[in-house]
Amino acid sequence: MNSIQIRTMARDFILNEFLPGERPENLTDSTELITDGILDSLATLKLVAYLEKSCGIEIAPDELVPENLNSIAQIANFVQSKQAST
Amino acid sequence: MDFALNEEQRILRGQILRFAQDKLNKDVRQRDRDQVFQRELWGACAQMGLTGLPVPQAYGGPGLDSLSTAIAIDALGYGCEDSGLVFSICAHLLACVVPIWKFGTEEQKNRYLPGLCDGTLIAANAMSEPESGSDAFAMQTRAEPHGDGFLINGTKTFVSNGPVADVAVVFAVTDRAKGYFGGITSFLVDRALPGYRVAQKFEKMGLRTSPIGELVFEDVFVSKDAVLGGVGGGSRLFAHSMDWERACLFASHIGTMERLLEKAVAYTRTRRQSGQAISKHQAVAHKIADMKMQVEAARLLVYKAAWGLERSQSVSLDAAVSKLFVSESLVRTTLDVVQVFGGYGFLSEFEVERAVRDAIGSKLYSGTSEIQRNIIAGWLGL
Repeated sequence: MNSIQIRTMARDFILNEFLPGERPENLTDSTELITDGILDSLATLKLVAYLEKSCGIEIAPDELVPENLNSIAQIANFVQSKQAST
Repeated sequence: MDFALNEEQRILRGQILRFAQDKLNKDVRQRDRDQVFQRELWGACAQMGLTGLPVPQAYGGPGLDSLSTAIAIDALGYGCEDSGLVFSICAHLLACVVPIWKFGTEEQKNRYLPGLCDGTLIAANAMSEPESGSDAFAMQTRAEPHGDGFLINGTKTFVSNGPVADVAVVFAVTDRAKGYFGGITSFLVDRALPGYRVAQKFEKMGLRTSPIGELVFEDVFVSKDAVLGGVGGGSRLFAHSMDWERACLFASHIGTMERLLEKAVAYTRTRRQSGQAISKHQAVAHKIADMKMQVEAARLLVYKAAWGLERSQSVSLDAAVSKLFVSESLVRTTLDVVQVFGGYGFLSEFEVERAVRDAIGSKLYSGTSEIQRNIIAGWLGL
């Protein structure tokens, strides 16, 4: 799965699940998801469950940090690094 | 889809039922009245493997799969009338043993799991604080880097097994700026460490044989080897252990409901009023029919959630649905059983009065009913 595919998948999921009615162009690759409150605790866990299932990865407890999940770009980088290490 | 227990599961259920009925029910009323936790009974349960059900044999457990773990706990709830003891075992197993097994280092697993499984060690999960309950991550307990480890300071409350625990899984803030994710870390903290103090023990309405209280940490130094699940991994670890707790602890309530259902059937078939058994009065029979419906539905929900623990990467939704339904069914069933027993149900001499008191907490612990509805709504995208 390349970076563009992961970004598209993550963006579609976030728009559909957490931002219903939002214009897609308002969710950019650098929009801050956790620190701007788009993802609360439950939403983050839901996103993680989705990424684990869709991308075939397992996210360790200490990997669930803003550095890995705070934007679509960070999510794509993180997922790619996980896929490369498995 | 096969709804039948396999041969191993049938044997397991039968063994635990017989053990619980033979060994765990003596003097329950007295123990409840005196709020007595009996370490000998804990040891007996450990010998049966109940304190380490899903833990692999290499670490001292029986190595059951998650569904069989729920079946075993269901059987324990049916056979054991001491709901406080069952609760203590589940709190130890699901909120402490499971996270150590799932997220511990090899050194941590080898150090703790054999003792936690064989009954020589009791564990407690220390999350809630005086000012943070459902909003668990508003916690004030902090762990600050110090030398080759951390200094922990804070107070934890509503700690199940806290007064008797030998080791606690303690959640503390390690980086407040990171917040919920990345800012909370869990630690394995031994009771013997300087600064670890068991504070007040609480008296409570039900589950009185399960000790609960406060733990105070005053400059408790733990080495970095005490970090469980990595620095900043506390939130995920907590969510995972809650999935196990919501899926499997509540299996014990199915057993309780089934036992109460059978008592209600037996009682109403022999108790006569107006020239016939009271079971012939539809107002009574319908209550019992509802109890049966709730037991059957609860079992399907719990077993599905437990089954998913090893198959899905998150069972949060199934676990929340199951926990909510089982706890509310348990409270409804116990109140209905008291109503069916009439004045006798109000007396301490019969189990049903204690069952009501024991049931009420189920809508509070492991996340209140309101929190479960929030979780379900969140998963539905609401």
